[in-house]
Amino acid sequence: MASLEYFEVECPEPLGAEYYRQIANDVLLDHNLLKVIEKLHIFIDPKVPIFVAVGTLRKITTVVRVRDFANVNPLEGKITLVISDETYLAPMLKIFWETFGKDHVEQPDRFTVMLYDVKMDPKEIEEIVVADPSESVFRDLIYAFRCIAPEGFRLRSENFTKTKFSFVASENTLAEDLGSLIAAKFALVGEKP
Amino acid sequence: MTLVPVTYKGWIYQHDIIVDLIEDLGGYIVQKHIIAAEVVLQCFVPREDIELIRRIGKPLFGEVTDSPLVGTEIAIVSMSLEIHHLPHPSCDIAEYVRRIGAKSNMVSLARGPGKRIAGLNDEERDVINEHDIAVFLLGNFETCIEYKMPTLRRGIEVPIVLCGGPPEEALRRITSPPVEGYVGNVGRFMRRTKEADQLEKLDEIVEVITQVVEKKRDDIAKDPLSVSPARLMDLIREKVPAILDVTSPTPLTVQMHGLRVKLPYDTFAAELRAIEIEDGIKLGDLSEVVPSRMRDYILVKILPFSETNTVI
Repeated sequence: MASLEYFEVECPEPLGAEYYRQIANDVLLDHNLLKVIEKLHIFIDPKVPIFVAVGTLRKITTVVRVRDFANVNPLEGKITLVISDETYLAPMLKIFWETFGKDHVEQPDRFTVMLYDVKMDPKEIEEIVVADPSESVFRDLIYAFRCIAPEGFRLRSENFTKTKFSFVASENTLAEDLGSLIAAKFALVGEKP
Repeated sequence: MTLVPVTYKGWIYQHDIIVDLIEDLGGYIVQKHIIAAEVVLQCFVPREDIELIRRIGKPLFGEVTDSPLVGTEIAIVSMSLEIHHLPHPSCDIAEYVRRIGAKSNMVSLARGPGKRIAGLNDEERDVINEHDIAVFLLGNFETCIEYKMPTLRRGIEVPIVLCGGPPEEALRRITSPPVEGYVGNVGRFMRRTKEADQLEKLDEIVEVITQVVEKKRDDIAKDPLSVSPARLMDLIREKVPAILDVTSPTPLTVQMHGLRVKLPYDTFAAELRAIEIEDGIKLGDLSEVVPSRMRDYILVKILPFSETNTVI
């Protein structure tokens, strides 16, 4: 995990730690969350049993605009958009339909969208905000940590802020002094909870 | 005549020559798959005739390979149906075993995950016991496996192959009494098995399963079955035409001790028992026809020679 500043998995069983390091890496990579997390410390003790993940988050300031994934070409009363990445195609179409009406929007194939008789300047169309990845980031992170944590650990305590997060899971009732455990793990990352 | 399990792979053109040949030689075709222009036959053939099949199959681009797992039904016991265990590694292993000829079923436990909370209910236990072998796919932690394995294996009578994250020696140390096979360093992982080292691990699992199957075959040979399961399969296919209308991939699943017939028990059990095998000996005389815990299927358990005093 080259893009993380700090990444450690702590476990009394060294081999188990190695496996969980691999699992965390695969899951975060699959969910495209490596660019969101800055530091990550995972602690697992199968004897208790408990799973703790603490870390810091990067600031997500970028919103996705039309220009990020499409070329806007005005030509004789119509505007042709050539799409390079389909990920945000659906939300973009939805915005176009609402703004211009369905009669003015046509999609002849997967990678092309045509706008007819649209008064808006092509430069303005390029600047339209299509998606804000920060809206769903917490939900995605929680889902990813649920995948990483051992499956039976269904009692969870999560705390996500804009800069830091902690995720604790166990199959037994969580201990009342969780705060000190989380603080200890945050200290390893060089942060305070 | 010793029948050995093999797989024949060749083009579909004139493959009926091979099908007829195997039947004429006294062999049985357990499964037949037609994939595009290719045909795969999983069959039992007389050991001394393998060369003959190879020779006749050569102009048809046919290949004969040993498939020790043909004629076995294996339970791949996964701890749950969640994303944590599926599709990797459970499906990867089930699929790989299938390629070697076994009929693998995935059995996912309702309360398999966790340490203290892990459990096995009576239906799961009975379904696993209907198979020839159970392959338990456990997690990465020695502590958890040691804690939950006694619960998960309670009541399981078929040989167990234990796969888990800790090395093989650790798995051996923590399981008491020992199980029949161990494969270490295969715990929970969340990536597809496609690299060479991962495929080697799958090969290792197949190797261990094969050893356990061979041992079980040796045990059966000491007190042979009254009739070969593959022969019964042919007979049922001939005498009970309803089986031809079943859309399941393997309407008749051959096992080492019998076979699973995918027809409703209430309607067809009596008909099955009454099938005459040879000289007035009926199927019901040589086997127990019991309801399966899997849907409403029928399970035919063939009795050994020591109980019937007959081998045909």
